[in-house]
Amino acid sequence: MRPVRVYDKFELPSDKAELHRRAVRLEWWTLGFFTVTIVLVALVLGQSQALKAAWVEDILSMTPPLAFLIAARFRDRAPNKEHPYGYHRSVGIGFLAAALALLGLGGYILVDSVVRLIARERVPIGMTELFGVTMWLGWPMIAVLTATMIPAVVLGHKKLKLARQLHDKVLLADAGMNRADWMTAGAAVLGVVGIGAGLWWADAVAACLISADIVRDGVRTTKAAVADLMDTRPRTVDGEPHPLGDQLTAMAMDEPWVADAWIRLREEGHVFVGELLVVPTADADDLVHRVAALGDRLRAADWRMHDLAVAPVPAIQPAE
Amino acid sequence: MIVAVAVLLAAGCQWPRDAEGTLDRVRGGVLRVGVVEDPPWTVVDDRGAVGGAEAALVERLAAELGARVEWTEGPESTLIGALSHQALDLVIGGMTRSSPWTKEVALTVPYFTSKRVVAVPLAADSSLEGVPVAVEAGTPEVTFLAEEGAVPVVVDEVPAGVPAVVPDWAVDPACQRAVLELGSTDHSFAMALGENAFLVRVEEFLLALPPEEIRGLLVQARGGTGCGR
Repeated sequence: MRPVRVYDKFELPSDKAELHRRAVRLEWWTLGFFTVTIVLVALVLGQSQALKAAWVEDILSMTPPLAFLIAARFRDRAPNKEHPYGYHRSVGIGFLAAALALLGLGGYILVDSVVRLIARERVPIGMTELFGVTMWLGWPMIAVLTATMIPAVVLGHKKLKLARQLHDKVLLADAGMNRADWMTAGAAVLGVVGIGAGLWWADAVAACLISADIVRDGVRTTKAAVADLMDTRPRTVDGEPHPLGDQLTAMAMDEPWVADAWIRLREEGHVFVGELLVVPTADADDLVHRVAALGDRLRAADWRMHDLAVAPVPAIQPAE
Repeated sequence: MIVAVAVLLAAGCQWPRDAEGTLDRVRGGVLRVGVVEDPPWTVVDDRGAVGGAEAALVERLAAELGARVEWTEGPESTLIGALSHQALDLVIGGMTRSSPWTKEVALTVPYFTSKRVVAVPLAADSSLEGVPVAVEAGTPEVTFLAEEGAVPVVVDEVPAGVPAVVPDWAVDPACQRAVLELGSTDHSFAMALGENAFLVRVEEFLLALPPEEIRGLLVQARGGTGCGR
């Protein structure tokens, strides 16, 4: 029987590690995409308050990819004396940062569009000269906004898929951010068309409706991030209770020498950590080895199950 | 949606449209213009008659639209306030793109760039170190000149035949040459926010103006160039 290793380093299984590398590449692409967007939008927006709003949006949109990439640097470092639980929580912190950025984006657009509506703010869109051609500024604005929607849709879709496979909630929040990005761009296109049609309120109303949806998404994500940091029961990226706890309890109960078992798990980024209490039957011998073997088996049952302390107890009093 | 817009355009509908229908109202009607006096862009004489280069342009625009111009002279802040509440259709008077009014009103694309240069008589040296240069009172060029090592001589009206700060379009190559540029301004008209059909119509008019013609109007309003004045 091998000795129990303290400060055990966590590695993703090789297929998940490959997915994670893909996610890292995707986030670098996202950062690059936003840098280009910022420059392009600045070129066509001209005289309008929308410029400032677009910049705030882009800066907020860069938060989730940054949070992901920073957390990715820390998450799998080996535990040490100073960090006996390791660094997995960095992913949870990144999730909270990304969720707050999403909520902030929605809130900012909501407040901004309501203020514009109340002030009955009108937007001038005149003529512009682009590559020697004189045209209504609205056309290149629509072209750029539409062009920025496509990568946001693609990136968001890819991240959503990876987030589920990797159990990565930062990636999930970032997918939500990309969704918010293409929706606001879509709203802005409607707004420009509305302004062209002489409907001064079209821009603000479209932004207002979209932002309400982003705020809802932001609230849901922030709640989930706070809940994870509060060590609530693990949930899947889609918000469903994670089945692993029940599965592991069932596996323990299947052991002939286990009379009763109780588990509690918490989520630390990609991985789960927790304690399993087992009540051995009266005739169970060689308890130390049985407990160690059970711990190894349960850890091997799922890649997310990283750190599980198994403790034999005389009896378990059920929760009130 | 884009298809719908294309259909609208093909059907000859107006695009973009005004929020308050200014262009339709002005066509064949009255063009209400606020004038901030700023020669040679705008000049208002003792009897209240409005002239100057920009006034001439507005008259031409009004003729294209079949409109009659109704002039209102006043201070910039008052007229901009009236414009932002659509009590006026247009405000002129040396407005530039760097004006502080971009939140209240729309500024058209610049139709003319005016540079402030130091012009010296043809025979003079091109170095300005310690040279007295005539400069109009109350212009930022007084400071810029001092920074360039010249000696600013502040005057009410710049005389002919001496080194002086003048607009680049007023430099007459027959008797003087520009030796130093001190700054430039991009000139626009101020218009109401959200009246995009009218905005686009005015910008089309301004963009079609040959710079030579604007220069001619400016020289005329100024009363001649460096030599002839």
